[in-house]
Amino acid sequence: MNLNLLAIAAAGTEPSIFGINVGVSFWTFVIFIVLSVVLAKFAFPPILGYAAAREQRIQDALDEARRQREETEKLLEQQRQELQNARLEAQSLIAEGKHAAERVRTDMLTRAKAEQEELVTRARQDIERDRQKAIESLRREAVDIALAAAGKLVGKRMDAPEDRRLVTEYLKSVDSANGAGAA
Amino acid sequence: MMPSVLPMIRAAASEEGGEFDIPSMILHHLADANEWATPFGVIPLPQFAPVQVGPLTIDFSITKHVLFMMFAAFLVALMLILAARDAKRSREAGAERGPKGAANVVEAMVLFVRDEIALKNIGHGGERFVPYIVSVFFFILFCNLLGLVPWGASPTGNLSVTMALALITFVIVEVTGMRELGTKGYLETIFYAPHGMHWAMRLPMYVIMTPVEFLGKLTKPFALTIRLYANMTAGHAVVLALTGLMVIAVSANALWVIPAPLIMAVAIMVLEIFVAFLQAYIFAMLSAVFIGLIRHAH
Repeated sequence: MNLNLLAIAAAGTEPSIFGINVGVSFWTFVIFIVLSVVLAKFAFPPILGYAAAREQRIQDALDEARRQREETEKLLEQQRQELQNARLEAQSLIAEGKHAAERVRTDMLTRAKAEQEELVTRARQDIERDRQKAIESLRREAVDIALAAAGKLVGKRMDAPEDRRLVTEYLKSVDSANGAGAA
Repeated sequence: MMPSVLPMIRAAASEEGGEFDIPSMILHHLADANEWATPFGVIPLPQFAPVQVGPLTIDFSITKHVLFMMFAAFLVALMLILAARDAKRSREAGAERGPKGAANVVEAMVLFVRDEIALKNIGHGGERFVPYIVSVFFFILFCNLLGLVPWGASPTGNLSVTMALALITFVIVEVTGMRELGTKGYLETIFYAPHGMHWAMRLPMYVIMTPVEFLGKLTKPFALTIRLYANMTAGHAVVLALTGLMVIAVSANALWVIPAPLIMAVAIMVLEIFVAFLQAYIFAMLSAVFIGLIRHAH
């Protein structure tokens, strides 16, 4: 049993697997070139062309989807911003309202206090005036009584302006002493 | 079934001169021939008288390997054209439908070869070479696979075939180089010295590097030739040797031996299917790499 393949091949009696048969190479060229032409004409344009077209379409769809998503995100962000703005505005409005209300309250309070004080003052002035008026009338009454009494005592009617002046002056001195004491 | 087969095998084994000769059996199966053994008998193939072309005497006979190349080319064309028809139909059916079923598998393979082998290695503007790379991939793949079919043969286990295929790649590479680099650029891929180098240094550079660059051009197709041929031949030789062991076991009445070579033969056969794809991939890949290399030379 001869295990040496090379020896057998070299011997030439057995079929060789090492030789080059140019005829077979020629047929290889022919077959491969015919195959290439057939494939280039009937197989590759549809397969590669449509695959490329489909890939382009998928790419376009992906691009479009990305564009739309970006747009959506932009809109969402814009709306979020607007919502935030609206919220801030509402808050500032509420704060302003509160502030205004506070101011109005303080204002009214102040005004009410001032009015009240004014009322009190006026009342006091009224009272004072009435009191003065009463004192005045009382004093006049007192002068009249005193003159009448003195006239009775002296026996004649004391009604001369000179007398009246005397008494009034006296009473005034008394009143100023009393008034200082009363005040 | 087994008992009726055994005497046949014994008879066939003893027919060849009493002793079953594994090497000649292997050679007989691997070598090209002018006949094709089928289950229905040996079919003789057309033989033509050798033609004298210059110094060469060329035998244009349709040998077994030529026949199987035709089968392979036919199957590749059939498969891709059917896939193309489906692609066309799906195109007409509506823009949104992709290929279906088997056509989808074919298209996926074609697109894999286009994207992962051709475009990735050839680089920008490599679309022009995609048809060649796809054709050579499928043609070699089918040639490889036909050798695994019973009564089949691998044309890619023939040096004449792999040499011719490697030469096609070689011509495409060199023509691409001439077209894309121009005369001067192309000559620089053979006669090369770095720009701006002093002439006194350039001279030895040319003397040393020119044979290297020139050999580099020739070793590429040579490596393609030998790699594909050796891979296909070696795998088949191993399967045939293990099969021969089984025949010897039968004729020696040592049936208990059979499972060992059987299991190994089946395992090698499965490996061969992988190798068939791998070698087609490598040939296409290297073709693309060589085209890419010369397009981006220097």
